[in-house]
Amino acid sequence: MIDQRRPPGSAHVIRLFRTLLSVSAAAAIGLSQSACQPSRPSQRFTVASAGRITSLDPAQANTFGAQQVISALGDTLYTRSVSGELKPSLAAGLPEISDDGLTVTIPLRQDVLFHDGTPFNAAAMAFSLRRFLAIGTLSYVVGDRIKAVETPSAFELRLRLNRPSSSLENLLTSTNLTPVSPTAYRDHQDRFLNDNFVGTGPYRLASFQAVQQRLEPFERYWGQAPSNPGLTLIYLSNSTALFGAIRSGEVDVLISDSIDEDQRLALNRLADKGRLRVGEGPALVIGYITLLSNSGPLQNPVLRQALAHSLDRPLISQRVSHGLRPPLLSLVPPGLPGGDAEPWPRHDAAQARNLFLKAGYCNGKVFTLPFTYRTNVPADRLMALTWQAQIQRDLSDCLVLKLDGVESTTVYRQLGEGAFQAVMLDWRGSYPDPAAYLTPLLSCSEANGSICERGEAAISGSFWTAPGLEDTLLRSDRSRGDARLRDLDQVETMAAEGAAYIPVWLVTPRAWSLPELATPEFDGNGRLKLARLQEAS
Amino acid sequence: MGRSRELLRYTATRLALAPLMLWLIATLVFLLLRVAPGDPVDAVLGSRAPEAAKAVLRARLGLDQPLWHQYMDFLGGLLHGDLGEALINQEPVRQIIGRALPASLELSVTALLVAAIAGLAVGFTAIAKSEGSLDLAGRFYGIGTYALPPFWAAMLVQLLFAVILGWLPVGGRFPPGMLPPEGSGFLIADSVLQGNWTALQGAIRHLVLPACTLGLLLSGVFTNALRLNLNRSLRSDYVEAARSRGLSETQVILRHALPNALLPVLTIAGITVASLIGGALLIEVTFSWPGIALRLQESINQRDYPVVQGIVVVVAALVVLVSVAVDLLVALLDPRVRY
Repeated sequence: MIDQRRPPGSAHVIRLFRTLLSVSAAAAIGLSQSACQPSRPSQRFTVASAGRITSLDPAQANTFGAQQVISALGDTLYTRSVSGELKPSLAAGLPEISDDGLTVTIPLRQDVLFHDGTPFNAAAMAFSLRRFLAIGTLSYVVGDRIKAVETPSAFELRLRLNRPSSSLENLLTSTNLTPVSPTAYRDHQDRFLNDNFVGTGPYRLASFQAVQQRLEPFERYWGQAPSNPGLTLIYLSNSTALFGAIRSGEVDVLISDSIDEDQRLALNRLADKGRLRVGEGPALVIGYITLLSNSGPLQNPVLRQALAHSLDRPLISQRVSHGLRPPLLSLVPPGLPGGDAEPWPRHDAAQARNLFLKAGYCNGKVFTLPFTYRTNVPADRLMALTWQAQIQRDLSDCLVLKLDGVESTTVYRQLGEGAFQAVMLDWRGSYPDPAAYLTPLLSCSEANGSICERGEAAISGSFWTAPGLEDTLLRSDRSRGDARLRDLDQVETMAAEGAAYIPVWLVTPRAWSLPELATPEFDGNGRLKLARLQEAS
Repeated sequence: MGRSRELLRYTATRLALAPLMLWLIATLVFLLLRVAPGDPVDAVLGSRAPEAAKAVLRARLGLDQPLWHQYMDFLGGLLHGDLGEALINQEPVRQIIGRALPASLELSVTALLVAAIAGLAVGFTAIAKSEGSLDLAGRFYGIGTYALPPFWAAMLVQLLFAVILGWLPVGGRFPPGMLPPEGSGFLIADSVLQGNWTALQGAIRHLVLPACTLGLLLSGVFTNALRLNLNRSLRSDYVEAARSRGLSETQVILRHALPNALLPVLTIAGITVASLIGGALLIEVTFSWPGIALRLQESINQRDYPVVQGIVVVVAALVVLVSVAVDLLVALLDPRVRY
């Protein structure tokens, strides 16, 4: 009897199959043998982060990753400690400011060399500053403050200002103002040099690729030599890969800029158990909501204030980030001058309801607010969902959030066109100073009543200003000490009353290292101190 | 007309149509990018840059020209093999593609090998015992691997073999502490040619996980195709005729059943190769594989027009070439094919 289910010749095929399987198994064993070899060929440290680096030119670098690398390859005139103290680095002392505040004189160190052997001096510093002012993509950071850069002597730099500026000292800690060798950049005075960097820092660049950079200690460095024999900085494209890389010990240090909240929590728990070490830097990134204040229903300030009262920050922080993103009630991060004030209202559902009633909502009339979040930022999406659910719990008869996800590039492109009624964003100041947070959000060069028609507030998508706000803002950059604190407080109070922005949370930079390494340290600008990475003692 | 002349005419027609196809694709990409929201000047300088600086950059990049001029410049560059410069860092697009394409090809070819070996091996089980447990397992494998969402499977594989077991690296293409071998950009080939066995080992270790994941996910297609066709072939009249002529079973299978069963598999392999030339985006993203798909995704996010246009045109050209080559191969191998 013939087995109809089994085609003739199947025995031969099974033999062939077995042979094929044996070959595959042999290949797999071969591969696994090669796979089990150790992965670390040297004692150099490998530091992983998410963020491909397309340019190492300080005049162009505007990503956290690029600024992190430049901070290891170069020095700035001053650094800022975590406690906020300004410390000379390439400068030989603190800046001397003239009585009228319009001239700043900076003495420079005389024992510094660039990686190509060119001596660092006032001419080199002036070259770098002028280059930044001419081609820097972040030249708005300096704005109209610097009128002229002068070199009265070989090791003295003089800045002539258009107006007194108390934020200038912190501006001089910005990575974007890192000096570069005039010799190496001779042909790049008016264009970017993206794949090289010749600075004065503790490391020199040994090789550069967008996905990997190798740093070697600079033997003739003027300051404290790096505590490690060299670094390899690598890029991994997603949070799971970054998480896995530190969990498996494949990398020595992980910088947290793009780690998902659950994985961040898991890494912290591992650190609590002693299986990793974790270092925290000063929180210099703020998460906030921008409300379109020049048209539509949100033109009504009462409605904006109602929204400000409706936000339950502690709940959102807990649900989205397990409390790792602290609630924020100010546009200036705590730790910076003026950052300790909390002018924005805390969550108060009853007060929010009263304000919605005052604006003509509730009791059968529900205000539907389109709320946009960036689809490529997972925390933003979670924030939007949580706020939506919280509103449904507290104020469902007054307010409904209609969520809309848009990719980052499109959001930033359309922000200044007034495309979003409410949108979740974040901001990192280019240098650690209140001016780097307040000016980009509130400054307005052309206003019509409380509507900003031209200026930073328009670019930021709120189009909001208030009578006297611009003057107070400018005054806060001229005044010093307690007077400055009072001015900053006034600016923030006005902004909170206007409620065109609603601060949500702070983002704290973290780095995790393997337990064999010392705890990673950050500087006052929120950058990891790469040169201080070392084996644990 | 002889078969070889027919084949020649067919080849010439296909190749002649290729530039038309590429022109259509290039035009479509050019227009779609300009329609998409997002200004490349903002991507380079940031939305807060002074208007004067934006205007200077816009003029330097030719973005202040009418669309028609930009289009003609783009086509003119293409005809001269000039794909332009990346907006973000002014690197020649040709150089960017030259670096990313070998990574994608290395991954694709290895994945295809894994897919073919695993897929065909499991496909053979079909004829062991139809409806038997081995056959059912083969069917389940075929459907299962095809149906698995690639990003989910890739993350599971990554967590298991890289994070939990620690056998293989989590991502990347080469050990961070080592310098990759100079040469063609195909790290395995370069390592072998230079006799650099440490580099070879490093490159293989990084390739295993993404290639095996991608290969196993693709293998289901091969399994199902071979299962169906081999079963049909072994029951066909020409196989019976071969047996009746006294040929051994091995000869019957290898010379008659298998070649016929493999023809559709070859077509599927061609389509798969063509789709992989553009990179396997989800695999490249998950394993941080610096290939063409990952680069394309980043360039789209940055609105880097020249890079996106360059990658799409080059990939389209390769896909067209591979498709033509596969069609010709099938036509050569299968006398039944008419054109």
